[in-house]
Amino acid sequence: MTQKDPAPASAKTAPALKSITIEFDDRITRHFMVASITWGVVAMLVGVIAAFQLNFWEANGHVFEILTRFLHETLKLSFIPIFDTDGIQYLTFGRLRPLHTNAAIFAFVGNMMFAGIYYSTQRLCSTRMFSDVLSKIHFWGWQLIIVSAAITLPAGLTRGKEYAELIWPINLAVTVIWVVFAVNFFMTLKIRREKPLYVALWFYIATIITVAMLYIVNHLSIPTSLTHSYPIFGGVQDALVQWWYGHNAVAFFLTTPILGIMYYFLPKAANRPVYSYRLSIVHFWSLVFIYIWAGPHHLLNTALPNWLQMLGVFFSIMLWAPSWGGMLNGLLTLRGAWDKLRTDPVIKFFVVAITFYGMATFEGPLLSLRSVSSLAHYTDWIVGHVHSGTLGWNGFMAAGMFYWLAPKLWGRPLWSKNLANMHFWIGLVGILLYVASLWFAGIIQGLMLNELDATGTRFVHDFVNTVDKIELLMLTRAIGGTFYLLGFLLLVVNIWKTARSGEPVNETRVVVADPAMEIDRMTWSAAFRNDPIAYTFWGLFFMILWFFSPPGYSHMALICTLAFSFFAVKKFKADTKTWSDWYDEFSENYLPFSVLVLVAVLIGGMVQIIPTITVNRAMNVEDRLQTLYTPLELAGRDIYISEGCYNCHSQMIRTLVPDVVRYGDYSRLGESIYDHPFQWGSKRTGPDLARESGKRGDSWHYLHLLNPRGIEGASRMPNYHWLVENKTDFKGLPAKIAVQQRIGVPYPIMAPAEIEQGAREQALKIAEGLVKEQVRIPADADGKEPESETEARNKLAGSEMIALIAYLQKLGTFEEVEKDELEPGMPPVGPGVPDKFRPDVPIETATATETSE
Amino acid sequence: MFKRIILEDWQALVPYLCFALIGGAFILIVIRALCLKKSDVEHLAHLPLLDDEEIKRVDQDS
Repeated sequence: MTQKDPAPASAKTAPALKSITIEFDDRITRHFMVASITWGVVAMLVGVIAAFQLNFWEANGHVFEILTRFLHETLKLSFIPIFDTDGIQYLTFGRLRPLHTNAAIFAFVGNMMFAGIYYSTQRLCSTRMFSDVLSKIHFWGWQLIIVSAAITLPAGLTRGKEYAELIWPINLAVTVIWVVFAVNFFMTLKIRREKPLYVALWFYIATIITVAMLYIVNHLSIPTSLTHSYPIFGGVQDALVQWWYGHNAVAFFLTTPILGIMYYFLPKAANRPVYSYRLSIVHFWSLVFIYIWAGPHHLLNTALPNWLQMLGVFFSIMLWAPSWGGMLNGLLTLRGAWDKLRTDPVIKFFVVAITFYGMATFEGPLLSLRSVSSLAHYTDWIVGHVHSGTLGWNGFMAAGMFYWLAPKLWGRPLWSKNLANMHFWIGLVGILLYVASLWFAGIIQGLMLNELDATGTRFVHDFVNTVDKIELLMLTRAIGGTFYLLGFLLLVVNIWKTARSGEPVNETRVVVADPAMEIDRMTWSAAFRNDPIAYTFWGLFFMILWFFSPPGYSHMALICTLAFSFFAVKKFKADTKTWSDWYDEFSENYLPFSVLVLVAVLIGGMVQIIPTITVNRAMNVEDRLQTLYTPLELAGRDIYISEGCYNCHSQMIRTLVPDVVRYGDYSRLGESIYDHPFQWGSKRTGPDLARESGKRGDSWHYLHLLNPRGIEGASRMPNYHWLVENKTDFKGLPAKIAVQQRIGVPYPIMAPAEIEQGAREQALKIAEGLVKEQVRIPADADGKEPESETEARNKLAGSEMIALIAYLQKLGTFEEVEKDELEPGMPPVGPGVPDKFRPDVPIETATATETSE
Repeated sequence: MFKRIILEDWQALVPYLCFALIGGAFILIVIRALCLKKSDVEHLAHLPLLDDEEIKRVDQDS
């Protein structure tokens, strides 16, 4: 703390007041801002590479051979060796895409968010941050986490859950650092000199609490080694928890903190207060109460129980109102200052960012309608939607904030307004190219994939044809992304030049403090033991009883609900002031307020997740039950996850006729019950694999993995030649099986040697089959090829390739649950129809064979 | 699908119940926001700008 306290009181100040000079810790803001810009470049660059990988398979590493060959042979630069490779395992799309998303979310937006929070919180609280040491630990700890992610993700060390890929030691580090941040933030609120909590601080509180809750629950895992773990949730549980987390990562990491930043920085930039503070209150509470429920809209038309899908749709549509309320509040803050839009790049960025917030939050509920989802889900439309949020809303808010902050943090005007304007236009064109092309690509591909012939029993287009059709649009997307990156590089230059032309400045400010002012005086008892809480609690309690009690009791519960409502209104009328004061006190006392936020977000999660966790057990499954993976298949599954195959292939055949016709009978809940983590996926760059078992021979998979274009010329999939070289971790299998047993997968008791031997025997059998078919076995790194069939078989059997083939050949196998196992008196089960709301789709397998990737 | 431990009919009520609860909370919030005193709203809305005003005031005082 470098607070100079107290300064001599001004002669004209009332005796009770003190003038205090505060030096804000702007160093930490500068650090986070520079980190955000640096990681932003990395995230966008990796994103651009990944976008090109979807156009050109060579971009998965083979490009280095092309380049070095060109230099060596064409330009005759003989000192440059030819880098002979079909691809590099650390640079495939499956491994780079998680790096891109994590870098964009946690490194770029995360650091930007911390910069904005540290800057605005100190000023809104009229105090320096509670602890400079905690601030530094937060900063350096966060950067260390990002560096760890940048190393482990390309290395294939992943948990296999989107935006939650980081391995368990890093998860622990994130939790510790988040707690450090939370302590520093809340202690700063505690020592504040401004009694009311401005709405931006509310958004920050919601962010800290909710992200902690989401992160911890979705990362609950049991380690099998230092770099590997299995999540404790499996199948539908895991799907639900994952998208509860995934959706709310968007809500509470990419939205609420940025809204807080909007509510602070936009009034500053426009030099006028927010349009409607009342609307900002409604905006905040509506988001907190509603957002948390909308996660299941990522799982529409899947095996997720219908009531959860309904909840997701319901609350997604409700989100329209608060989101647009917030957008309008932001835009209308510029009332009377619209002229600045022409001249001030900061306002330009803010206005377009808020507009994109409105567009993305309009599109989100639209995509949450089941009918729209049936077209858009698993296509590039979703990717376009996400990027209109991240590039438009987050990216442009970041740029606006950085351009506003830089002159203040380095004490010099922005180096070049023209350059900032150029950044704005290049970035905007980039976003529009990116988003519009993916809209078209998604809709075209969705329509083509869903198109059936006149009989309604055959699909019209092979998967790979749909990929071909959107080739130009995918290229446009990559170009749009490149534009956006170029624009951002202009920001790098501009901020760099501004910083170089000035000196780091820590703002000092004289504030008038009232020592007599009482802050956070509300006791826990006053907060939670009072009439408003009591009447609300008992009213809700009896209302729930009314809903769920049997007839007779429910009438009693209804009478009690009405009675409590009546007495609550009567009490409120008699003592309005106490009730109003209670709320006012609540909103000015950060701890009770934070508890209320926690309760609000907990309700949504508990209602959705607890029933699913309770009943998602094999003993409760009817219809079909997943067959256990053998140890070798489990090893193959870990390789599938490690390679990031889930980034392009789903394992969920939706309850939609086109899905069933193309891929086979729709997926049941019980068919993925032992999948830790679940692999339903969120995008089909390649076809669904839920029923891959037995569709093709081992040699087909072998040749396809080695060279997808040898089988399907238009495929974008990388060559996975290193799978033949990499050895399967047989020794690690006993530990993995032990953890699987602990998380509820009913493996029989097996000795470690038995597990290993079983895996090796299965691998040998598959390898033997391949050798008999005389498949080509790539030479070692030193050019040595197997000299005999035995050598070839042994080499293959120990390779990751065989384990992965074993896994692929297992996908979609299940056991029928005996009908007589159903408990007596239970209503009869229909022919695999999950519930009465779903169409009774034909259950025959696909009538045409998928021939693509 | 699960055995009928949780009946679909029972579950179908959950979205409506949740909607009612959240709808109720929303109405309460709107009422509270509308009932805020104008002076409080003004003060809160000006908080981000307060520092500039404070600095100006201190300058004038000295």
